[in-house]
Amino acid sequence: MKSPVANSASAQVQGLARFNPFSRRLSPQNNAWRWLFWAGVSILILWVLAPIGLLIINAISTPAQVNGWPKSIAPGIHTDTLMFFWNYNGVISALINSILAAVFTMIIAILLGAPAGYALARFVFRGMTTYKMIIVMSRAFPMPLLALPLAVIFIQVGIDDSLIGLAFVHATLALPFSVLITSSLFMGIPVELEEAAWTMGCDRWQAFRKVVLPLAAPGIAASAVFAFVISWNEVFASAILTVQNRTLTAFLVQSLAESPAEIKFAGGLVLVVPALLFLFAIRKYLFSMWGISNR
Amino acid sequence: MSDIRIEKVRKQFGNLEILKSVDLEIKDKEFVVLLGPSGCGKSTLLRIIAGLETESSGTIRIGDRVINSLPPKSRRIAMVFQNYAVFPHMTVFENIAFGLRMRKDSEEHIQRKVKETAELMHIENRLTHYSGQLSGGQRQRVSVARALAMEPEVLLMDEPLSNLDALLRLEMRAELKTVLSASNTTTIYVTHDQVEAMSLADRIAVMNGGRIEQYDVPTEIYHNPATEFVGSFIGNPPMNFIAPKAGWNISKNQVNKLGVRPEDFDVRFEPQEGFIKTNVLIKELLGSHQQLTTKADGEMIRINIPSDLQVPNGSDLFIRPADDKVRFYDQAGHIM
Repeated sequence: MKSPVANSASAQVQGLARFNPFSRRLSPQNNAWRWLFWAGVSILILWVLAPIGLLIINAISTPAQVNGWPKSIAPGIHTDTLMFFWNYNGVISALINSILAAVFTMIIAILLGAPAGYALARFVFRGMTTYKMIIVMSRAFPMPLLALPLAVIFIQVGIDDSLIGLAFVHATLALPFSVLITSSLFMGIPVELEEAAWTMGCDRWQAFRKVVLPLAAPGIAASAVFAFVISWNEVFASAILTVQNRTLTAFLVQSLAESPAEIKFAGGLVLVVPALLFLFAIRKYLFSMWGISNR
Repeated sequence: MSDIRIEKVRKQFGNLEILKSVDLEIKDKEFVVLLGPSGCGKSTLLRIIAGLETESSGTIRIGDRVINSLPPKSRRIAMVFQNYAVFPHMTVFENIAFGLRMRKDSEEHIQRKVKETAELMHIENRLTHYSGQLSGGQRQRVSVARALAMEPEVLLMDEPLSNLDALLRLEMRAELKTVLSASNTTTIYVTHDQVEAMSLADRIAVMNGGRIEQYDVPTEIYHNPATEFVGSFIGNPPMNFIAPKAGWNISKNQVNKLGVRPEDFDVRFEPQEGFIKTNVLIKELLGSHQQLTTKADGEMIRINIPSDLQVPNGSDLFIRPADDKVRFYDQAGHIM
């Protein structure tokens, strides 16, 4: 079954509408389309995979291989660089800081975002459209503009150089997503299910806990992971707002600027892999949430 | 006792008056159908009784309890929804047991009650399935079983059959009728389908524009429609509303319209005293009878005649309402 969204999307691409890249029929026109299609696909795949591939290859090469020429595609696995990076002073604590900040961000984003999403999905209130607009707009606010005044306020309040302070900033970045994702999630759960629960002896909270939450849980988890990844990858605010308690990204920006290339690659790999794994785990929910059904 | 008394219930959304002071009394164990076109307020009234909407004013009593301010869970009602609302993350068993578990019935009672209602609705071999594994008809069975298992004082049903396909609807209708009359539960059933209403109801409340136009037993609704609206909403084809004809003996004064059911005409092929001429425009053979659309003095009149009568298109017929079969309506469209 095709979703309506997929249908309208394919309808927009009129030329491609009747084109099936897997068809065995070889009309000249079909052939040209097929060529273009696979060329496009290849470019997109390369675009995403080439940097990651290079990153991995270089991270597991010896320093001599990284700096030497010619390059080999399969240089063999050397964990020396990774081990060196791992034992580098401050990496472990930065890693722990990153994880903590991301977990805090995740918790804040869900605790604030899910109720807001629920309200957007279930209630009609004055200023609803404006509220939605503002949520999206907050993403358009440039981080550099925010970070410095925030640093000043954080010092005044006394949460400067703390992970919880950083998590607040990351949560503002993650909140628009968690609000919009959870609201579309709750919208997909028929209100009649809740109403049925009410008539069967539940109050509002019980109905939410027993009926809505179990149905929304996978999606909420996905949006939580998304918040985690946003915090994990964020570098600008982290670099400005933390000094002693550096997160991994901030630490890498600071320490790796003068490091040899192979160490940079190792650091990059350590940063990329968790985010990739997380996103891979929740890809199904992300796709269905962006309106593209995963069949 | 679970009789229901609804007094002066109004509902307003902004400037829109959905319900205009509705009064309705439902006797204990009675099956009442709220019937009307979409937007007439029937679902809103049902949801107000369920506690899913709040009335703007008025009182609702079940027995001698005023239930206005109570949340749905304290009203001792159960509701069946149009889209079934079967919880997708629970098995059929857990769905039926849900309400019983919420009120902390004993496990033994739950087991027995679920089994009993599942058997009643013929889903006893589906108890371990999830709603995704069920057909629409089976889901609606779960939904009804779930409501009946609660042994509610009042059972509310919001167009429970309209998501089913035609054949299944007929089957479920007959089954619902048996099950519900055996369960002896006061039931309020919302539908826009007049056939459903006619076949199920003890009494029908015909609603239009936020008002109850007529509240009576089905035969009265059909034969003595209180308003022109009721006459034209019920019956297929609807009642004819025609200006009084000079040829017919009209005993009443100030009659604005005559209401005659299509099957209630005396039909002649030759002119006759007390009959008026009407010209056949369309004839449709509908199996048991044929339906003629005719025109007399610029007015459309629908007539049902036996299917074996031969009537050429464009021919003239002579008609008059059968004795006692004509109803009189005043300027405001009310029966006289």
